[in-house]
Amino acid sequence: MESIILFAPLLGALIAGFGWKITGIRGAQWITTGLLFLACAFSWIVFFTHSPETQHIQVLRWIESGTLSTDWSIRLDRLTSIMLIVVTTVSALVHLYSFGYMAHDENFKEGEESYKPRFFAYLSFFTFSMLMLVTSDNLVQMFFGWEGVGVASYLLIGFYYRKPSANAAAIKAFVVNRVGDFGFALGIFAIFFLVDSVKFDDIFAAAPTLAETQLTFLWTTWNAAELIAFLLFVGAMGKSAQLFLHTWLPDAMEGPTPVSALIHAATMVTAGVFLVCRMSPVMEFAPSAMAFVTFLGATTAFFAATVGLVQTDIKRVIAYSTCSQLGYMFVAAGVGAYSVAMFHLFTHAFFKAMLFLGAGSVIHGMHHEQDMRNYGGLRHKMPKTYWAMMIGTLAITGVGIPLTGWIGFAGFASKDAVIESAFVGSQGGYAFWMLVIAALMTSFYSWRLMFLTFFGKPRGDKHTHEHAHESPTVMLVPLGVLAVGAVFAGAIWYSSFFGKTNEVIKFFGGHYEEPSDALKAAVAERSPKASELKYVMEDPPGDAAIYIRPENTVLHEAHYVPTWVKLSPFVAMLIGLFTAIWFYILNPSLPKRLAENQRPLYLFLLNKWYFDEVYDFLFVRPAKGLGRLLWKRGDGNVIDGSINGLAMGIIPFFTRLAGRAQSGYIFTYAFAMVIGIAIFITWMTLFGGAH
Amino acid sequence: MIEADLTIIMPEILLAVFAMGALLLGVYTTKDKMAPVLVWVTSALFLALAFWIGTTGSGSNAAFSGMFIDDAFSRFAKVAILLSAAAILVMSEGYMARRDLLRFEFPILIALAVIGMMMMVSAGDLMALYMGLELQSLALYVVASLRRDSAKSTEAGLKYFVLGALSSGLLLYGASLVYGYSGTTLFSGIIEAANNEDGISIGLLIGLVLVISGLAFKVSAVPFHMWTPDVYEGSPTPVTAFFATAPKVAAMGLFARVLHDAFGGVVSDWSQVIAFISLLSMFLGAVAAMGQRDIKRLMAYSSIAHMGYALMGLAAGTVLGVQAMLIYMAIYVTMNIGTFAFILSMERDGQPVTDIESLGMYSKRAPGKALAVLVLMFSLAGVPPLVGFFGKLYVLRAAYDAGLAWLAVAGVIASVIGAFYYLRIVYFMYFGEDREDALDTGTPPVLYGFLMASAIIMVVGVVNLFGIEGAAQAAAAVLVE
Amino acid sequence: MDDLLREYLPILVFLGIAIALGLVLILAAVIVAVRNPDPEKVSAYECGFNAFDDARMKFDVRFYLVAILFIIFDLEIAFLFPWAVSFQDISMTGFWSMMVFLGVLTIGFAYEWKKGALEWE
Repeated sequence: MESIILFAPLLGALIAGFGWKITGIRGAQWITTGLLFLACAFSWIVFFTHSPETQHIQVLRWIESGTLSTDWSIRLDRLTSIMLIVVTTVSALVHLYSFGYMAHDENFKEGEESYKPRFFAYLSFFTFSMLMLVTSDNLVQMFFGWEGVGVASYLLIGFYYRKPSANAAAIKAFVVNRVGDFGFALGIFAIFFLVDSVKFDDIFAAAPTLAETQLTFLWTTWNAAELIAFLLFVGAMGKSAQLFLHTWLPDAMEGPTPVSALIHAATMVTAGVFLVCRMSPVMEFAPSAMAFVTFLGATTAFFAATVGLVQTDIKRVIAYSTCSQLGYMFVAAGVGAYSVAMFHLFTHAFFKAMLFLGAGSVIHGMHHEQDMRNYGGLRHKMPKTYWAMMIGTLAITGVGIPLTGWIGFAGFASKDAVIESAFVGSQGGYAFWMLVIAALMTSFYSWRLMFLTFFGKPRGDKHTHEHAHESPTVMLVPLGVLAVGAVFAGAIWYSSFFGKTNEVIKFFGGHYEEPSDALKAAVAERSPKASELKYVMEDPPGDAAIYIRPENTVLHEAHYVPTWVKLSPFVAMLIGLFTAIWFYILNPSLPKRLAENQRPLYLFLLNKWYFDEVYDFLFVRPAKGLGRLLWKRGDGNVIDGSINGLAMGIIPFFTRLAGRAQSGYIFTYAFAMVIGIAIFITWMTLFGGAH
Repeated sequence: MIEADLTIIMPEILLAVFAMGALLLGVYTTKDKMAPVLVWVTSALFLALAFWIGTTGSGSNAAFSGMFIDDAFSRFAKVAILLSAAAILVMSEGYMARRDLLRFEFPILIALAVIGMMMMVSAGDLMALYMGLELQSLALYVVASLRRDSAKSTEAGLKYFVLGALSSGLLLYGASLVYGYSGTTLFSGIIEAANNEDGISIGLLIGLVLVISGLAFKVSAVPFHMWTPDVYEGSPTPVTAFFATAPKVAAMGLFARVLHDAFGGVVSDWSQVIAFISLLSMFLGAVAAMGQRDIKRLMAYSSIAHMGYALMGLAAGTVLGVQAMLIYMAIYVTMNIGTFAFILSMERDGQPVTDIESLGMYSKRAPGKALAVLVLMFSLAGVPPLVGFFGKLYVLRAAYDAGLAWLAVAGVIASVIGAFYYLRIVYFMYFGEDREDALDTGTPPVLYGFLMASAIIMVVGVVNLFGIEGAAQAAAAVLVE
Repeated sequence: MDDLLREYLPILVFLGIAIALGLVLILAAVIVAVRNPDPEKVSAYECGFNAFDDARMKFDVRFYLVAILFIIFDLEIAFLFPWAVSFQDISMTGFWSMMVFLGVLTIGFAYEWKKGALEWE
C-alpha cells in the first residue's frame, strides 16, 4: 500500500508526460488526478491504521559501493504518515483545482500547444519526489527527493517559459536552493565520514557519540553534532526560505497559482521543517545549533511579516505570510517542541493551501489581475470564494476561544502552541516577542488582504470588475475540503501534537517512563506553576518518530506558562484586526498618508529590506563578472584560442611543409631515405647497445 | 628429405605452377579475352589456398634447412594476404574491363606477387627473404605501370622501381653486413651471433639498421615513405587498392619475422628505432593527409599513418605487441578493402573521379553507401565503438605495457589529428555542397557487396573481432620466444 | 671470424692487382703518349661524317629490351657453369633443381617470343 502511494504519482507523471498523445489531454488529466486521489485515500488509511513502531519497507537495493550501502526503502512512522496525508491531500486537491484554473491560459496558444498534460505531469512528478523525500529511509534517498522537488519546482515556476520574469524566478529559485543544498550535502558527507553510514537508524544510534566527537572543519574544531545539525539546517534554510535564503520564494509566485499552493505553501517549503524534525535525535544533542535555528526562525517570522504589510500583489502577500509561518515552525523545532512544529506544519498546509487556492480563484475570476489595489467589493461577485478566504484568514490569524487552547480554528491551536513553546524555550526572550509581534502583523496583513479584496468599492479596471465571476465548481470543491481542514484540523489533533507529554510520545510511536528525581526538581524549580513532571521519553534516539531527550521538558512546561502569555497571541490578533479595520474600512486614506509620512520605512519594507539589491551587488554581479571573464578570456581566448591556433595555424603549417617535401622528384625522395639512414645509423652507433 | 620440404612449400609451388601455366595458356590461346575468367579462377585459387593453409596447417615446420618456415605466424599472415588479394582481384575485374586495362597478365602478376609475399612471411634466411621480397616487388613495379599510355602510371611504376631498387640495395648491403658479422644467413644463426654477452657488435647493428630501412620502405614508413603518395595516385585504382592491402601485411609480417627471429635477443636495440619510425609515420600520415583533395593520395597518407600504428605494436617487442600488430593489420586490410571498393565506384559519366569534394551531399543520392562509408571512415579514424578503435586500442595497450607510454600518448594525439581528414570526407557527404556534376550513384554489385560487408564487419566485429584475437595470439607466441 | 675473412684474402689480392694494373695503364698513357691536339682531331665524328645531332640522343626502347633479355640468359650461363663443373658430385636434387630453373626460364622465353619481344619491326 505504501509503495502504491509512492509510485502512483510517478506512474501518473509518466503517463501524462510521455503518453498524453495516446490518452488524450483529458485522459492525462484524469489519470494523474485519479491516481493522486487513490494515493490520498491510501495515505489516510495508512495514517489511521499503521502501527506505532517504525517500519522499513524495502523497495529495492540501491547503492553498494565500498562501505556505502543504501537501500531504497520506505521508513514508515508517524512523521512519515503525517507528511503523507499532507502531501497527497493537498496535491490531490490541487490537481482537481487545476482542471478549472488551467482550463484557459493566455500564455499559450489555445488549441495549438498542449500545456495541460505537461502541467499535470510536473505536478505528479513533484508529488512523487516529495513523497520520496518524506518516506526516505536514509539521507541519500532523501537528498534524491530533495533535488527532485527542486527540479519540479524549477520546472513549474518557469512554466510560463515565454515570460522572462518567470524564467528569471525559476533560475533564482534553483540557484538559491543550491546554496542550501551545498550545506545539506556537506552535512551528509560529514555524517558519512563520522558514522560510515547514511541510514537513519545508524545515524540516530550514533547521535549520542556524535555529541562527544570533535571534528576539524574549516581550520576550526567543532562539536560534530553541532556542525552536522548546522549544515543540515543550512539545507533546510534554502528549501524552507528562511532569512538570507528566502529571496526565491516571493519570486516563485511567477508560477501558476495551484503550484504556489502545492509547492510553495503546503509541501515543499515545509521540507526543511520536516528535515529538522526527522533529524531530531541529532538535533537534540546540538543545543547551540538549535539556538541558531530558533533565532533565525523568529527573525524570519518577524521579517517576512513586516514585508507582508506593504505588498500589493495578492500572491506575494501570501508568499511572505508563508515565509513568516515557516519561521514559526522553525522556532518550535528549535526550542525542542518538534511535535508542535509538525502540528503547525500540518494545520498550515490546510489553511495556507486554501488561501492560495482562494487567491487563485480571485485571480481567475478577475482575469489574471493580481494587484489588490485593483480589487475591492468582490464578496458579492464571488461569495463562495469570499467565505473560503474568510475561513482561511480566521485560521491563519488564530481565532479561537482564548485559554481553552484548542477550541478554535486550526491556526489558533497550533500557533498558540508555538508561541507558548517559544516562551518556555527562550525563557520569555527574543523568540517569544518576535513571534507575538509577527502574530500582530500577520493579523493585520491578512485582514488587509481580505478588506482590500472583498470589501469597499471596486477599484481598477471597470471592465474587469463587470466581468468578475465566481469560479467553477471544480475549483470550489477543493476550497471546501480544505476549509474543513482549516477549521477542524487543530481541534481534532490538538492532544496528539500538543497534549500531555505522554499522549504526544505515544502518538509519535514512543514509550514513556518516570523521570528521575533530579529532573523533576529542576523542572519544579524552573517553572513553579507547572504540575509535577510525570513522563519523559524512554526510547533511545531513533526508535520513535521523533526523539525528545528527558532533559527537554519544553512540551510539559509550555502548558503552564503565565496567562498573559497565553492571551498574548489573541490580543495581538485583535490589535491587528482592528488596525486593519481602521485603515481599510473606516479611514481608507490613512495608509497612503502613513506611507508618505514614513516614506523611508515604507520604501524599506516595500523593497523587502533591500535583500535582493544587496545580493545583486554582493553575489550576482561579481558572479556574472567572473562568468563573463571566464567565458570571454578563459574560454574564448585561452581555450578556443589555443585549440584553434593549433588546429588552424600550426598543424596546417606542417601540412604545407609535408606537401612541399613531396616534390615529385625521385632524387628528393632518395635523399630523404639516405638522410634517414644516416640519422638512424648515427643514432644507433652512438646510443645503441653495441660494443 | 626433399619430399618433406616440398610438401611444406606445396601451396607456393601450386601457385607458381598455376601462374606459369596460365601465362603459357594465355599467350598461346585467347590472350586478353580469357582475362576475366582468369581473374575469377585466380581469386578462387587464392581462396582455396587460404582455406587450405588456414585449416590444415599445424605446428612449426622448417623446410630447406630452416630457410623456409611454416608456422602459426606465417599461416596467419598468408591467410590475410591471400584473402585480401582475392578480394582486390575480384573488385578490380569490372573496373579494369571498363577501362580496357584488363590484360591477362594482371592476375598472373598478382599471383606472382602473392607467391613472393608468402615467401616473405615464411622466410627463415636472408636469401629467402630477399628472394621473396624481390619477386613481390618486381611484380608490383609492373602492375603499377599497367596503364602504359598514361604518363602518371608509367611515372608511378618508374619511381617505384628506382626507389625500390635503392631500398633493395640498402637491404642487401645490410644483409651482407649481417652475414659478414655473424657468418650465416640463417635467422637461427644470426640470433645466436647477435646474442653475445657484451651486446650486439657494431657491424651487426649497422646491418640491422640497414635491413630495417629496406623493410621500412616496403611498409612505407617515414622517412622511406615518399614514393607512396605518387605511386598510389598514379597507379590504376585497383592496383592502388592492392598496394594498400596485401603487400603491407606481407611486409609487416616480414618485418616482425626478421626482428624477432633474427634479432629477438636484442629487442631494446631496435625497439627505439622502430618506435621512432612509428612516431614519425603516425604524425606525418595525419598531418600531410589534411592538405589532400585526391582521395587516393589521401589514402596513401592514411596507410602511412596506419603503418605507424602497426609499427607501434612491433616497437613493443612483446608477444602482445606482435599480436596487436597482426590484429591491427587484419582490421586495417578489411577497412581498406571496403574503402577502395567505394573509391573504385566513384565515377562520373563512366570516368573515375578521385576528388573528395565531388562527394558533396552524396548522402542524399545514395544514403546506404554514404552510411557505409561513414562507418568505414569512423572506423579508420578509430572512433569507438567501431572495430578500428579496437585495433588502435590493442597497439596502444601493447606499447603502454612495454613501457612506451610516450609513444601511446603520441599515438592518441596523432589519431585525433588524423580524425580530421576522415571526418572531412563524411562532412562532404553529409553537409557538403550539392554539386551539379554529381557522382553516378550506380555501383557494380561486387563493389557494393564489398563496401557493405566491410562496413557491417566494422560494426558487428566489435562483439569478438570474429575470433582473430586467439589466432593472432597463437601466431605471436610462436614468433616471440 | 678470422678464418672466414681469410678465405676472402685471394679476392682482396686480386682486387689490389686489378686496381694497380688499371692505374698503371692509364698513367702510362698520360706519361708516355705523344699529344698534339688540333680542332679536327678532338672533334666528335661518326663513321667519317660530322655529327648529325647531339650524342645524347634517345635510343629505341628495343635496344634495352634486347639488353635485358641478354642479361637473363647471361645469368643462366653463369648459373650453369658451376653446375656443370660439379656435375659429378651433385645429387639428383641438384640435377632436377637446374632442370626446374631451366624450365621456368623457358616458359619466360616462350612468353616473350610469343609476345613478339624478339621481333625488331
